[in-house]
Amino acid sequence: MPQESFYEEISESIVNLDKDKAISLAKKAIDENMNLLDVVEKGFGAGIRRIGDLWDEGEFFLPELMLGGNIVQESMELLLPHLKANKEDITSGKVVIATIEGDIHSIGKTIVATMLSANGFEVYDLGADVSAEKIIRTALEKNANIIGVSALLTTTMIGQKKLIETLKERGIRDKFKVILGGAPVTQNWVNECQADGYADNAIEAVKLIKKLMD
Amino acid sequence: MFKEWLKDDSKIILFDGGMGTEIFKRGIKPGKLPDILNLEQSEIVTEIHKAYYDAGSDMCQTNTFGSSYMNLQKYKLENRIKEINERAIENLKEVCPPNHLIVGDIGPSGEYKPPIGKATYEQWYSSYLKQIKYLEPGIDLWHIETISDIEEMVAAIQAVKEVSKKPIISSMTYKKTKRGFFTIMGNSLKDCIKKVENENVDVIGGNCTLGSIEMIELIKEMKNITNKPLSIKPNAGKPRLTQGGITHYDQSEQDFAKDILQIVKSGAKIIGGCCGTSPKTIKEIKMVLDGLV
Repeated sequence: MPQESFYEEISESIVNLDKDKAISLAKKAIDENMNLLDVVEKGFGAGIRRIGDLWDEGEFFLPELMLGGNIVQESMELLLPHLKANKEDITSGKVVIATIEGDIHSIGKTIVATMLSANGFEVYDLGADVSAEKIIRTALEKNANIIGVSALLTTTMIGQKKLIETLKERGIRDKFKVILGGAPVTQNWVNECQADGYADNAIEAVKLIKKLMD
Repeated sequence: MFKEWLKDDSKIILFDGGMGTEIFKRGIKPGKLPDILNLEQSEIVTEIHKAYYDAGSDMCQTNTFGSSYMNLQKYKLENRIKEINERAIENLKEVCPPNHLIVGDIGPSGEYKPPIGKATYEQWYSSYLKQIKYLEPGIDLWHIETISDIEEMVAAIQAVKEVSKKPIISSMTYKKTKRGFFTIMGNSLKDCIKKVENENVDVIGGNCTLGSIEMIELIKEMKNITNKPLSIKPNAGKPRLTQGGITHYDQSEQDFAKDILQIVKSGAKIIGGCCGTSPKTIKEIKMVLDGLV
């Protein structure tokens, strides 16, 4: 089927990290009035999932993740205004993400944010060294489904727990799924914080959030 | 003395263990750079160095992991680069026993090259050079460690060579994938080793990220690629934060030391610990090594 081969071509351009090709295919899909929802899901979505698989296989590393994520993000920005459906209908969910107060390490968190956007999530990346108060306020304002909190240092991890405690104190813990990230985070820590999960890397984070949204 | 140790086949050089995790145990505030303690609470740093020498370390490294110009910039401390690095040496000199060595520690800049960050070779080189010139007068050798981009490692080595003729241990940090050991930037173990061999470093190493069990596998692969002396500093498993907010590492010192024995038998010349290891770990390793002789 010609359509299928077009989707395959898109997916292939993502895996080849060929930005020009991906963008030109997105433009072509718009010009030719194709079913853009299918283009997004079967073309760009499939491409970013293949990047995830290649990471799992040890074929792709951080630079490829970042490049692939950026290409899909840019293509999506092009496609979104033309999608007939409401943005609300096609988004996989809303995520507010930040590195906790006192911690300036943002690389891992940024990669997770990029991969989530590329996977169709509406992502609000608040940056690094962000107070629990600001994270919660944004999550409420944006009506987020997920809060992602990163901490690289064992000394700042405690902020992840405090954020969850604050949500409980205000009686809004059930409004959000809270996931943790950062090198020192383990399942033990998730249990102790009563968080909803953690992920070791950006690919796992996408899988985890998709599972939590089901 | 270091070069003589390298030539002496019967000598296994015992390095120190973790510094950052030891400092955190003593209650440093979140978000603070451990290296600033060189100035603000030097007695803590000195106490940790002394504990390592007492435990049996042949050499300890300066508390300057994060004291490159680029990393200090993140904490707005770049204008204190001179005093932080110079005091680090003084803190170590104070407790270094005779016939023991002082190692100048150089860690990652914290900045990545595109597409992840914006760093360039020139920036890395000049950032390291600024740190290295303050350490050079007081140290016996260099340990460039925990680097995950081989280009950044080469920049650091070349910066050292610009001002120093002292021996260099070049230690990258690897993760284990289905296809073998790679850095998170995608540099293969073989590629890294070949590139630092070309830069003519004295010792090639691996540290951090991997625990002691995985390091046994790493050193076997390293041994197959190079004839250079090898240095290994594994992490002590994964950290865990307890109810009271204290960091714990689950692996026991005895288990760690047992793995170290395997690492030495597989060809390590220099051995120590990274995150989560303590003077207790080094003492345990010392006992195991003494049993070897």
